[in-house]
Amino acid sequence: MEIIQPKILKGTREFGPSEMSKRNVVMAKIKEIFARYGYDPIETPILNPAETILGKYGEEGDRLTYNFEDNGKRRLALPYDLTVPFARYFAANWKELPLPFKRYQIQRVWRGEKPTKGRLREFYQCDIDVIGTESLIAEAEVARVIATVFEELDFGNFQIKTNSRRLMNDILRAFDAPKEKSMDVIRVIDKLAKIGEEAVIEELEKLKILNAKELLKAIKPEASTKETLQKLKQYNTSEIETLLDYCNALGVSEELIDFDPSLARGLDYYTGIIYEVVSHDNLDLGSLCAGGRYDNLCGLFCKESFSGMGVAFGFERIMIAMEERGDFDDLTLNSQILVTLFDEDSISDSLKLYRLLTDASLKTEVYFEPEKLKKQFKYADKKQIPFVVIQGPEEKQKNEVTVKSMQSGKQKTIPVSQLITYLESYEQS
Amino acid sequence: MNKAKNKIRIAVQNKGRLMEPSLTYLKKCGLKFAENGRNLIVPCENSDVEILFVRNSDIPEYVRYSVADFGIVGKNVLMEKENNLKTVQELDFGKCSLVIAVPNNSKIKKLTDLDHERVATSYPRILKNFLKKQKVSASIIEIRGSVEICPSLGLADAIFDITQTGRTLSENGLKAILKVADSQAVLIQNPNSNLNYENLLV
Repeated sequence: MEIIQPKILKGTREFGPSEMSKRNVVMAKIKEIFARYGYDPIETPILNPAETILGKYGEEGDRLTYNFEDNGKRRLALPYDLTVPFARYFAANWKELPLPFKRYQIQRVWRGEKPTKGRLREFYQCDIDVIGTESLIAEAEVARVIATVFEELDFGNFQIKTNSRRLMNDILRAFDAPKEKSMDVIRVIDKLAKIGEEAVIEELEKLKILNAKELLKAIKPEASTKETLQKLKQYNTSEIETLLDYCNALGVSEELIDFDPSLARGLDYYTGIIYEVVSHDNLDLGSLCAGGRYDNLCGLFCKESFSGMGVAFGFERIMIAMEERGDFDDLTLNSQILVTLFDEDSISDSLKLYRLLTDASLKTEVYFEPEKLKKQFKYADKKQIPFVVIQGPEEKQKNEVTVKSMQSGKQKTIPVSQLITYLESYEQS
Repeated sequence: MNKAKNKIRIAVQNKGRLMEPSLTYLKKCGLKFAENGRNLIVPCENSDVEILFVRNSDIPEYVRYSVADFGIVGKNVLMEKENNLKTVQELDFGKCSLVIAVPNNSKIKKLTDLDHERVATSYPRILKNFLKKQKVSASIIEIRGSVEICPSLGLADAIFDITQTGRTLSENGLKAILKVADSQAVLIQNPNSNLNYENLLV
């Protein structure tokens, strides 16, 4: 029989136990924070009728959406992001759901891109949304969730950049950019950091914005939020001011939330406050989380219109930053204790110890063969198991057990009755 | 019982080594009060101060909840709680040390010998932080009181406890091998309180 190459597709990834242990730690932390602020999880199908997904992301997006015919000759599509599946879910279920509805969703999405470094065909997205309220408290709450996530994942030096689409449109009107042109102008302004001021001015002039230089000057942030607001006082800045007040009350201080009137974000469905999170220690990674207020996301799926606010966390980028910092250096696999088998005769006694430890919810495994202890220790080393438990005939006779630290090599013999407390109270330094 | 308006309440030990010196201290502040030892709240005869007699380890909690404005507590108790209470001043009584002690005949001679051993204590947080800084791993057995008997009972190889004169240690066949911190009575206050220490004085 011919052997099949055990390969995976380009642009897909798989995660072994040590990678999964890192991802699970971060995922669990993020989920715990979402839950802390009252967000509940949902999951939507991977297989969808093609029309659910196609036609929502422009021509380019359609081209990148995985879609195919299944065995029953139906056109199907895989999710391109989590926003559209969420909009469909909400449109189908809003009558039964508590409103406003707060959900988080962490699932894989698919894009038929040419795979390059950092550009995959299959990857995770991690979204939170509040839908069914226009209150700016939703924006402030989301800012607080973002701040909590990055603080508790030890990003010391991050900022939530914010701006208002309403304010931006207000300013653009003053610079003779009518509504129908404003999205094109915003897309150009979005490239400011990437291509620089001069190139942006050139492109704006192509769009017939005459005083492009003045426009950029107007939206350039000043040294402090106060000065920026002062400069823009001829426009309506009340939305930003209220947001900053709420954020302040929630402990998201001015150092954390940075009002930047040049922040654009290219997507056209945003209608109010927008966010983009950067870590100044990981500027090369770009934005680590982004999103904003939208007014009619579900419009394609139901007659009613609902205003909502949501952001997507860049899970893979967060993982890269934490990996670079060495945050996972002390992380081990699940097992913390290995119960060894001293010899053939003591197997039952060792199994009893194994049962004792797992009954106490200590993460334990037992070796499967009564081989030389040295070989059993080697297994513990390879799995980075910090403790090995040994009970030879001498210990058995005194109802004792020996605990060996694989890190220091030190051994301690204690009564079996103290084993659980000893291990539970152990502080590894 | 709710605190009457304009009353200033100070929490002190209802029993234990700091009770007597705490009352002496309050008298030195000029406060006059009955010492019948039965009432939990004793009003002062010559000022708006009320004295609240409570368990030692509860004093920081009462101050944190703002049901007492001030408290007199051992620095050791405060360190173990790791809260944000404000130390108004050190009181120069109730002096003691937090030490690691082992049986006289123990093989444990220095800090690094503690590695992988069992240490009994009523101060697990202070000990954990200290050992972490010193890069020593150990099993920290939490015991509420009479920690000094643990080694002779075979429950621990060392203890981490307060000692004043060293008498309790030597009576139990123990000797200190390392001092980790000094302690004494301190006057504490809730960080949100706007009272001054002078409010206690008559």
